[in-house]
Amino acid sequence: MLELIFFNVTNGLIIGAFYALMAIGLSLILNLSGVINFAHGGFLVIGGYLAYVLTPYLGFWGALLVAPFLTALIGFAVERLLIRRIYGRDPLYGLLLTFGLAFIIEDGTRQIWGANGLPVSVPPALMSALSSEFFFITGYRMFMVATVAVVVALLFVLLRYTRFGVRIRAGTLDLETVAALGVNVRALRSLNFAVGIFLAGLAGVLAGGQLGLEPTMGDGLLMPSFIAIIVGGVGSLTGTLIGGLLIGVASGLTAVVFPSASEAVIYIMMALVLLLRPRGLLGEEGMLT
Amino acid sequence: MSKDLLGRPVPRRTVLKAGLAIGAVQVASPFVLQARGEEPIKIGFDDPLTGTYAAPGKNEQIGCELAVDQINAKNGILGRKIELLSEDSTSGDAGTAVQKARKLIERDNVSFLIGNVNSALSQAMAQVSNEKGVLHIVPGGHTDPITGVDCKWNVFRVCNTTRMEANAVCSLLFKTYGKKWHFITPDYAFGHTLFQGCEADLKKLGGTVTGNELTPLGTTDFSAYLIKARAANPDVLLVLVQGNDMVNCLKQISQFGIEKQIHVAGTQQELESVEAMPPEARVGVWMFEWYWKQAAGTPSLDRFIADIRKRTGGKVPTARNWFGYVTIHAYALACEKAKSIEAKAVAKALADMELPPEIKLQPNKVYFRGGDHQLMLSAFVGELLHQGDGDPENLFKVNSIVAGDAIAPSVAETGCKMQMPA
Repeated sequence: MLELIFFNVTNGLIIGAFYALMAIGLSLILNLSGVINFAHGGFLVIGGYLAYVLTPYLGFWGALLVAPFLTALIGFAVERLLIRRIYGRDPLYGLLLTFGLAFIIEDGTRQIWGANGLPVSVPPALMSALSSEFFFITGYRMFMVATVAVVVALLFVLLRYTRFGVRIRAGTLDLETVAALGVNVRALRSLNFAVGIFLAGLAGVLAGGQLGLEPTMGDGLLMPSFIAIIVGGVGSLTGTLIGGLLIGVASGLTAVVFPSASEAVIYIMMALVLLLRPRGLLGEEGMLT
Repeated sequence: MSKDLLGRPVPRRTVLKAGLAIGAVQVASPFVLQARGEEPIKIGFDDPLTGTYAAPGKNEQIGCELAVDQINAKNGILGRKIELLSEDSTSGDAGTAVQKARKLIERDNVSFLIGNVNSALSQAMAQVSNEKGVLHIVPGGHTDPITGVDCKWNVFRVCNTTRMEANAVCSLLFKTYGKKWHFITPDYAFGHTLFQGCEADLKKLGGTVTGNELTPLGTTDFSAYLIKARAANPDVLLVLVQGNDMVNCLKQISQFGIEKQIHVAGTQQELESVEAMPPEARVGVWMFEWYWKQAAGTPSLDRFIADIRKRTGGKVPTARNWFGYVTIHAYALACEKAKSIEAKAVAKALADMELPPEIKLQPNKVYFRGGDHQLMLSAFVGELLHQGDGDPENLFKVNSIVAGDAIAPSVAETGCKMQMPA
């Protein structure tokens, strides 16, 4: 039993790292633009399929590097053409727009690549398990966690030590003042949106290798990411990271004792956080008002 | 002046024009229909076109469309053309499936309803079709009660029952692999009855169940369940989940190398899922409900394969294509036999009707059993192939084709008490 619990905590951390990658992208966009991006799962799918198209030309590693950038480029264009029109409006507009976008992306993917799933093979070097004891820790999953760790570290450095990052953080707290100080807020929001979508694209490439590709693959990954934000606290990227890891471990542990509740448990966690500490674990009060 | 969603003013004239256009369409359309001569027979197709089961749903639709075109090319049913009206039932929302079924029956006046891939949605739709007295064929929802305890005079089923699927492979798995079994089961009607069938068969054979992991439909990560399953140390791990869940589960099994320690197998397997898996994940003993690669000389098989390829961008037909194809052709044959499209007469004609060779496309006798309205179709039992065996499209080695009535429980055992209306 103890071994089972230990296995599931480790396994939960691996899954949680992936949720965190999605959630941080969502969180970046929500913080600066005030848009709850329901199309985030859609951009994940775009990233995955782009990598699938690029792999024959660039190989797995090349696609892993290029596909997220292309996804970010698409995200940038979408922000310029659509998203920016709803800034400052009732959040409902943003929800409707991104919800519609999510449907368009899902059906577009289905039109182009078909409703049937597509297999993605990962490099043989990453295929095998670490040991027969720790069979669930495969090379690929280790690689995913490492990628997430590196990207999150880079992101924190970007936000902490670059002018662009400082402006994003300042804008999160008080956009009007930042604008009054002469920062081009429109460009800042576009770039920030693209960075968020880059993370979604990267998550898509990584998920493709783990699960294969399929037009609805973003749906199942989107809700846990939202919950990670709420549990961790809106406005805090560290909180989002912790939130992602927490819900991964919680659903892993529940699977040991009561498997059919392993999905419900993350919603129960969200309900508890909303009841006991509405701002989330590390969130600032009143971020979403 | 009213405003559009983005806050821009909409000119009054635009609104008026739009209103006029809508009005004109409503008045004009009946004339267009009448101009075509006698009204076509309308068939309602209410199946998943989005979500987890979009691929099988779409393939059933392609099979239906092929049959509709073939029948219309031969002057339709009783001299009337047929028209297929398709609706997206979603993959798991019974409310939407029921609403679409009501729309097809009440607004479009369809004489025949088709659906659904999802067992739970099939059951919900059967309630509606029965209430409205419309003939209904379930092409691909497997849970037992549809042609068992909940059987209805107007409802027929083409695909297997979950009990037939269990019976097709359980004794073989027991003999070849061992007696301690662990299950990964989808947590809804289909999974529940499939597990019960396997469990009953296993107990009869003298084996034990080491555990049953109930997983929600749409699960992407199976690692927690697999960790638990391996800790239970069974002889066989049976994967009962379907669609994308099957792809994800088998993919993770092969990544973890579990198939090297425990035998991995299952009951129902589908070409849609196998095609979506990387080669290394294609392992184990399974049953297909129909498979395209058969002994040479199966009548009309080659033509069916060629016809489907034309509609799928060159892909070989799947069992789902065949389900759709059989559903429409069976209905047409029954109407011709009854010389009517009235639901009760067609239902009577369908009961005990045997499918001709150009429709059944397989050996063994294939017929709708009168007692429970279940099609007695063969089970194709065999093993998945990593890579195509001499043919990259052939991903399954068929070891035996078992007749449907050899694996189906008797009508009495299904619990069906068929009652025709007065």
